[in-house]
Amino acid sequence: MASYTHGEPIIRFKGVGKAFGENVVLDNLDIELAARSTSVIIGPSGTGKSVFLKLLVGLMHPDRGEIWVDGVNVGLASDTELYALRRRIGMLFQDGALFDSISVADNIAFPLRRHTTLGEQAIGAKVTAVLDQVGLPGIEQQMPSELSGGMRKRVSLARAIITQPKIILFDEPNSGLDPVRSDEIDALIRRMKDELGITFVIISHDIVGTFRVADYIGMLYSGSLIEQGTPSDLLHSHKDEVRRFLARNLGLPSLPGRSL
Amino acid sequence: MDALTRVVRHTGAYGLFFYDCMVSSARHGVRWPRVMEESHKLGVRAFPVLAVMAIFVGTNLAIQGFSAFNNLGAASLLGMFVALGGVREVCPILAATMIAAKGGTEMTAHLAVMRTKEQIDALDVMAVDPRAELVTPSLIAIMLVLPALTIISVALAVGAALFVSVVQLNVSAGDFMYHCLANLTIYDLWVAIGKSVVFGAVIATVSGYFGFFSERGPAGVGRSTNQAVVTMCVVCVSLNYLLSAVAYG
Repeated sequence: MASYTHGEPIIRFKGVGKAFGENVVLDNLDIELAARSTSVIIGPSGTGKSVFLKLLVGLMHPDRGEIWVDGVNVGLASDTELYALRRRIGMLFQDGALFDSISVADNIAFPLRRHTTLGEQAIGAKVTAVLDQVGLPGIEQQMPSELSGGMRKRVSLARAIITQPKIILFDEPNSGLDPVRSDEIDALIRRMKDELGITFVIISHDIVGTFRVADYIGMLYSGSLIEQGTPSDLLHSHKDEVRRFLARNLGLPSLPGRSL
Repeated sequence: MDALTRVVRHTGAYGLFFYDCMVSSARHGVRWPRVMEESHKLGVRAFPVLAVMAIFVGTNLAIQGFSAFNNLGAASLLGMFVALGGVREVCPILAATMIAAKGGTEMTAHLAVMRTKEQIDALDVMAVDPRAELVTPSLIAIMLVLPALTIISVALAVGAALFVSVVQLNVSAGDFMYHCLANLTIYDLWVAIGKSVVFGAVIATVSGYFGFFSERGPAGVGRSTNQAVVTMCVVCVSLNYLLSAVAYG
């Protein structure tokens, strides 16, 4: 079992394969991600990063292999078990996935209204608190269409953390953002990690952001995990695909160690 | 052959979707406030257009009926023609196509956009069943509202036909109503209501199916809306024949 974590794994993929017709997206993937750490899965577009996240939350089912998340075998879980697991997971989608027809406050309060018996006053107080946490105080009554891309992601993060999940998943948190907004999101992820002390799993092709926030990095290439380790381990990888990918994205002519 | 395979595949997937909607509703319960909200939205939005269409269908039934029966010297049978043609056949399918065109397409487009923007996935990840949240309330709402709209359209069509018959065609109001009511029974109204409930279930689930499984992107939204409206109309008119054959054949 390939593992690049130093703590108790909370997420475990064992020999997972997924194909769409002839197109093999994940091929015999083995990976373990530690609890209470920030793990980033990187890789070029089309290497199965999004499929990895969707398999993890049970939005897709693997063709073979096992996926264990917080003690639940996702592939074999009943709907009830799967929904119970998902209540312990928050997810930030690429474009935020906020509901257009309701306000920011209603979007953030949505999971609380569905899953708790909290009164409106308590929900309002929690919404205000998480908006403060993500650095967007006072925008409760705005509609999602009035927000910038970066603000939508922050509101989505507020919605993801309001139920105090054990695991938060990020699907390309920096995509579509300018460098300044990307820096803000990276800083926010670091701050959330310090404040919440929970498990973060991020898929990204933004290498600069990855090296800012990651405890551990895994690189997917052609459906397989070809490298894993700390950011420093990745920088010193001897695999050509890793070195080419990092060098190009970090804007370096080459990386330490073997030349490209 | 490809078209046949596609139809079989869609029919199977639609059946599973329908079953999943029922199971989801049984498991998660029905969100009645959403049902009320959808019913109100659907009824209020569809009523003005449906009323206009029902009125003018009634006027034209009167003109065509008069034209046919007057040549036979039986213009007084106009009321029977309106009762048989309008109430039994035209009004249920008219109300259904209006709801399909307004409520059904709106539902498909809304779900397809939600699919494109990953909002349906977001619901799933928040442990909220998207079928129970998005499809079932609309299904119940349409099944409640469509029979009511059908009965209203029957009243408007008959009223408009009576008006044209009396004012424009010089048919006696008494003759018209006598032949209309003599040929229209409570059974006919129950059949019309029954048809509306079936059409409502078809409209909601077909709209939901095409929206729920829409391809992502603007082209996907357009394609799924188009497929939904064509399918709803074809299925409803085919079912209309079958239901009429069972009820009156």
